[in-house]
Amino acid sequence: MLMRLAGGRIVDPAHGRDAVGDLWVQDGRVVAPPPAGAPADATHDVTGCIVMAGGIDIHSHIAGTNVNAARLLLPELRAGDAVASVPVTQTIGRLYAAMGFTTVVEPAISPHVATQAHLELADIPIIDTAILAVLGNDDFLLRLLERNEGKAAVADYAARVLGGSRAIGIKAINPGAAAAFKSNVRRFGLDDAVPGSAITSRAIINTLQAATETLGLAHPLHLHCSNLGMPGNAETALATMDAAGGARLHLAHLQFYAYGTEGKRGFSSAAPLLAEAVNARRNITADIGQVMFGQTVTVSSDVLRQFNARGQAHPRKSVILDGDGNGGGIVPYRYRRTDFYNAVQWAAGLELFLLIDDPWRVFFTTDHPNGAPFTAYPDLLALLMDRSLRAQHIETLPKDAMEVSTLAAITREYTIGEIAIMTRAAPARLLGLADRGHLGPGARADIAVYRPQADRAAMFRNAELVLKDGVPVMRAGQPVARPAGRGLAVRPGFDAAINRSLAAFYESTYGVAPTAFDVPAAETVGRAAPFETVPCRT
Amino acid sequence: MTEPPAVTRAGAWVGGRAVSAPEAVRQAAGLLGRSRAAVVAGLGTDIAGARASVALAQAIGAAIDHMDADAALANLDVMRRAGWIVTTPLQARTRADAVLLVGPGLPAAWPDMVVRLALHDPPALVPDAARKLFHLGPGTDGPLAGAIAIEAPAERLLVPLAVLRALAAGRPTSLDSTAAAPLQNLAAALAQARFGVAVWAAGALDTLAVETLCGLIDDLNRTTRFAGLPLPAANNAEGVMQASAWATGFPFRTGFAGAVPVHDPWRFDARRMVASGEADAALWISAFAPTPPPWGDDVPTVALVAPGTEFRTPPAVLLEVGHPGIDHDSMLFNAALGGISFAAAASPRPTARVADTVAAIMAALQSC
Repeated sequence: MLMRLAGGRIVDPAHGRDAVGDLWVQDGRVVAPPPAGAPADATHDVTGCIVMAGGIDIHSHIAGTNVNAARLLLPELRAGDAVASVPVTQTIGRLYAAMGFTTVVEPAISPHVATQAHLELADIPIIDTAILAVLGNDDFLLRLLERNEGKAAVADYAARVLGGSRAIGIKAINPGAAAAFKSNVRRFGLDDAVPGSAITSRAIINTLQAATETLGLAHPLHLHCSNLGMPGNAETALATMDAAGGARLHLAHLQFYAYGTEGKRGFSSAAPLLAEAVNARRNITADIGQVMFGQTVTVSSDVLRQFNARGQAHPRKSVILDGDGNGGGIVPYRYRRTDFYNAVQWAAGLELFLLIDDPWRVFFTTDHPNGAPFTAYPDLLALLMDRSLRAQHIETLPKDAMEVSTLAAITREYTIGEIAIMTRAAPARLLGLADRGHLGPGARADIAVYRPQADRAAMFRNAELVLKDGVPVMRAGQPVARPAGRGLAVRPGFDAAINRSLAAFYESTYGVAPTAFDVPAAETVGRAAPFETVPCRT
Repeated sequence: MTEPPAVTRAGAWVGGRAVSAPEAVRQAAGLLGRSRAAVVAGLGTDIAGARASVALAQAIGAAIDHMDADAALANLDVMRRAGWIVTTPLQARTRADAVLLVGPGLPAAWPDMVVRLALHDPPALVPDAARKLFHLGPGTDGPLAGAIAIEAPAERLLVPLAVLRALAAGRPTSLDSTAAAPLQNLAAALAQARFGVAVWAAGALDTLAVETLCGLIDDLNRTTRFAGLPLPAANNAEGVMQASAWATGFPFRTGFAGAVPVHDPWRFDARRMVASGEADAALWISAFAPTPPPWGDDVPTVALVAPGTEFRTPPAVLLEVGHPGIDHDSMLFNAALGGISFAAAASPRPTARVADTVAAIMAALQSC
C-alpha cells in the first residue's frame, strides 16, 4: 500500500531537510516520491504539522528485575496507573508511542537476569526495544583482568555475553564498586582497586572501551561513572573523560555528576565546566538525566550508591540487592521544588543541555525514572525551546540555588531541527540503527507528526499521528493499533575457545553452566518476530 | 489474527463426563464468560501460563490468586513495608563466610540447597575464608549437618530473632545470661562475618519474624556486609508474581473488575472469596502437581490440572495440562539461578500447555 503524508513540514536533519512537502511510505518503509500523478492508496493530510522520524530513547529503565522490584516495592504509587513512575508493560508502549517515540533502550541489564528483561520487553507493545548488558563488576571479567588474559579474551567474553543476553551494547556501572562493596568498601572512585586485586575502575573502563572497538560495536561503552550524586563529583566526570583517552565513551546521565562545592552549602552546579569539557572532546557523548520535580523512584545497578542513599528514601523503604555482577538498589525519592539541592540539580541538567553546543553529542534523557519519569519529556522539551518558560520556573525556585547556577543567564532556545537531531538522528547514529532516525528512502517508516501549538509540551505529549512500520498506531494520543514491538541486538563473532574457559569457571565456581543464563529465542520469550540483528562495523 | 493452537491432545471432562477438548474449552468459556465475579486461582503455571491467565482475568474482570500466595506474600509484605537487603544464590555460594539458616522447611523448599550453595565448602571467591554454618530453630527437620544449631520453637521464631537483633545491636534483653548465651554467641559470630547470608524458606516464618530478621540484617550492615536469601515459594509463585507485576503493577490477590486493578491480599484470597460466596466461578490451575482446589462444589470450577488429580466432586470442566519444564519447554523461576530462566522439556511429550488452553478459552469467550 502506498501512503502519502501530505503537506507537512518535514524535519529530517540527517538529510539536511526542513521544508514543507509530501512524505511517501510503502510496505513499512519511506520511499522516494512516485512519478508525478501516481495516486496514493491512502493520504493523511498533515498540513501545518511537523513531521519527524520516530523518537529514540537511548537510556530509560523500563524493564528487568530491578524495575519490577520497584513496581512490587511501591504499590502505593499506583504502579498500574498511567501516571506511575514505573508503569506496566502495556502502558509503557502506549505512553512512549503517544509522544512519538518508537525505539527505546533499557540501559542496565545484568547478563544473569537478561531473560526476565526480555520477557518484559516482549510484552511492551508498539515500540522497538533493546538492552545494554552490564559488565565491569562480574567475576569472570575481573578474573580475566587479574590474570592479564589480554584484550582478545576480554573482547571474546564481551561478545559471548552480548550474544547470550541479546544486547545492543555494553554498559559499565560504577565498575569495580559493586564487587568492592561485597568486601565492605563504602566509597569507590576512579583509581580505587577492587579489594584483593590491583584492578582499578579506570582499568575496567579502558578494557571495556577496547573491547567495544575490537568488536566494532556501533554503540560506544556506555558508562555510569563513580561518585554519582556527590558534591564535587564534576572532578570525577572530568577525570573519567581524560581517562577515556581519545577513544569513544558515552557518559550516562551527566547531570548527576555536574556538582561543584561552591556556595554556602558547599553544593553548586558545575555544569558549565563539564559542558566545556564535552565541547572540547569529540570522542565524548553524553545523555543528561534531567531532574524534574515530583515523586519518583530511583532504580540503579550502582548498588553502592543506592545503599548510601537509603537515608533519603521517600517513602522510607528501599531494596538493596548484592547481585551477580552489579546487583542494584531501589530507593524511592521525591524531588522537591522548594529543596535547594533538587533545584540545583534541575538547573544543572538544563545548563548541560544548553551549554553543550553539538546536538549530535548530547542526548535527551531523564534517566527514567531516576531524574523523572519519561512522561515528563514534553515538559522538558518545552523548557529547552523556551527561555521565558525557564524564567518563569526560575522565579519559583530557591534563590540561593539559582545563585550557584548560570541557568538564568542562558538565552539559547533549541530549534525544532536541533530537537530532531537530539531525539532522532543522533541516537540512531549512536546505536548504529541505519534505518531509523531519518526520513530518507529506505528508512523504517517510524514517523511522528506533531501539530504546533502555543503549549509546546502539549504538542509533544500527544502526537497528532504516529506510524510504526508504516502503520498508524496513535492518533491525537489515542491508540488505534497495538502491533508487537521488535527486539534489537548485536551478534558479534568471537573465538569459541572462550566458551570452554567460561564453562570451566562457571562449573567450578557457581556450579552451573553459563548457558543456563542465555536468553532463548525470540519466540520463547514471547516475541512475534525474531530479534533484528544490529550490524557491527567489522 | 492467528487461531490459538487447538487443545486436542489432553484429557477433558465436563461434569465428570469425558468430552473432546474443544467441547471442554467451549464449556469453560461459557462458564467463565457468564461469571460476574470469577477468580483465577492456583496459578501453578509457567510464565506463559501466567501471562495468559492474567490476560483472561483482565478480560472477564476476575481476580487472580496463587495457591502459595500466603508464603510468597509473607516475604513481599516485609519487602514493601520495610525494605530489605538481599542477595542471590550464586553470591551466597561464592562469598558467604557465614550462613545463618533460619527456621524449618529448607529441605522441602529447595532439596538441592546444600549442594547448590556448596554449604560444606569454603566460599570460592573469598581467598582463605572458611564457611561457618548456623541453624536457628531448625524444627523437626533437624539442623543442617555441620551447622551450629540454636534450638528454638519453630512456630515462634519471632522471639529468638528479636533477642538476636537486640544482642547484635548491643541492647539489653529480658533473658538471663544463661538463656541468652547461645544467641549471644550467635550475635557475636554474625558480627564477625565479612559477607554473611541468612536463608529462610518462604512461608516458614511469619511476616513479623521475617521483618525482624531483615532488621537484623540491616543493623549488621552498619559495620559489615550481610544479606538475606529468601527461598521462593512453591509452584513457580515467584515467577508468577514477577509476570503479574510487570503486566499489572501488582502481585497476585489483585482484582480487575474496575477501571484500575485493585490489590488486596485479604479481599482477593480465593479461598475466602469462595467460602463467602463472593466468587461465582473459578478457574483453578495446577500444572506442577495434581493438586485439587481447596473447595469442593461450592463454586462452579474450571480445573486445568496435572493428570491424576483427584477431586472430591468432579469440577464443572476439567482439562489436563502438561508439566512445565518436563513435558514441554517452559520459562520458570529457578531457585538455583535466582531468576527466571529457560527450562527445556526433560522428557517432551505432546500435552497441552496452560498458556494454550487459557488462550483457547479466551478465544472462545467471544462466541459465548
